[in-house]
Amino acid sequence: MFTYEFCHAKSIEDVCRFRKEYGSKGCLVAGGTDVMVQIKEKSRRWAEIECMMDLTSLDKELRYIREEGDCVKVGALSTHTDIAESEIIKKYAPFFGQASDSVGSPQIRNRGTIGGSICNASPAADPLTPLVALEANVEIAGLNGTREVPLVDLYVGRGKLGLGEDEFVTAFIFKKPEEGSLMYFQKLGRRKALAISRLNTSALLHLDAEGKIDKARIAPGCIFATPMRVVEAEEILLGKVPSEELFEEAGREVSRIMIEKTGYRWSTEYKQPAAEAVVSAALCNACGIEMA
Amino acid sequence: MDRIKVTFTLNGKETSVMTKPFSRLLDMLRDDLHLTGTKEGCSVGECGACTVIIDGKAVTSCMVPAGSVEGRNVITIEGVGTPDKLDPIQEAVLKHHALQCGYCTPGFIMSAKALLDENPHCTKEEIRKQISGNLCRCTGYEQLVEAIYEAAQVLLEEGKTKIG
Repeated sequence: MFTYEFCHAKSIEDVCRFRKEYGSKGCLVAGGTDVMVQIKEKSRRWAEIECMMDLTSLDKELRYIREEGDCVKVGALSTHTDIAESEIIKKYAPFFGQASDSVGSPQIRNRGTIGGSICNASPAADPLTPLVALEANVEIAGLNGTREVPLVDLYVGRGKLGLGEDEFVTAFIFKKPEEGSLMYFQKLGRRKALAISRLNTSALLHLDAEGKIDKARIAPGCIFATPMRVVEAEEILLGKVPSEELFEEAGREVSRIMIEKTGYRWSTEYKQPAAEAVVSAALCNACGIEMA
Repeated sequence: MDRIKVTFTLNGKETSVMTKPFSRLLDMLRDDLHLTGTKEGCSVGECGACTVIIDGKAVTSCMVPAGSVEGRNVITIEGVGTPDKLDPIQEAVLKHHALQCGYCTPGFIMSAKALLDENPHCTKEEIRKQISGNLCRCTGYEQLVEAIYEAAQVLLEEGKTKIG
């Protein structure tokens, strides 16, 4: 069993100082739904733990969902339930709410936070793919102030974040998608509740006046070491009218890129057809196309 | 390692307790406060046996660092009903034979209570979703859904009487 000291975060600066002072001996905890399990299971990630800092004491500063001009900003301590129930999210990014609503169980959604989910850096985090499709930025606080970077640049390897020694993630910001944008989060898990995604995909599309796709964002989860969009598959869709055949083609392109990037593995025989189906289902469902 | 002091509202009462700094809420409730109605099942948030209510929301206490409930409002199964007057959810669970071994029951009741406190007008579908994070390995779920739904109707009736 790991033993460690415990303290409460008193301010954002306090967290930065803790990060700098403790390094890998310090553990920031928000909802605890990932961290507490990792500690219980004596994950090597926390082998050096000496002190845990509780962030939930910063609810007032970091738990909010609000509109800021043409952007939506989500504080890192917003719970999955907060996001799933938010009217702002329902209006501008319903698939983000949908993904948040599919995390774990009601108990986990009530406790787990978007900041914790993203910083745990699992490629299977459900709320990750809608944020990637929305081309979200993360706000990062450090002792010298805050900076903003694209979410996809936050990840520098499987489970690794590119944060300075004094930095932590404080918010997520994305541009409101154009009116009429079509969005869907598709998930494949082993059981309805509590399933960690085996595969998931977020799709965001926009059609021009003639009904042709003029914007496409495809963000598959779980299949790459770090989150990314599959631009090659998005390009296939541009200028074309939505159809099941077209979306199946995009699905095949995603699985081709998956194999190109990760190699042919023991799981590929399963993941290849599954990824194709999940991607085309996400696109079909975004457009309301019933699949054969 | 020095113990830490945690002050919070527990079942309606202001409570201060000394606990190990690395205790989970579940450990603090069971080992320091001797409230053993909250059960430990899987310890990784999959089974819901340790469900309690924090600030109105059902959460699994195996995932909550004890210190993080400082200043919060926590309700455990010991705060639901009394031996003389059971909560409508407890009454309905007995009436519908919605348990056999009973190990999962406190967790189910806490999940149900969080829902009914917020929305007694809930549908059976909402009840199923609310208890989707609780596992029962002997009785199954239909009796529980029926029981929780009936308890909701009782609460709605009581609410009407109170207003009237």
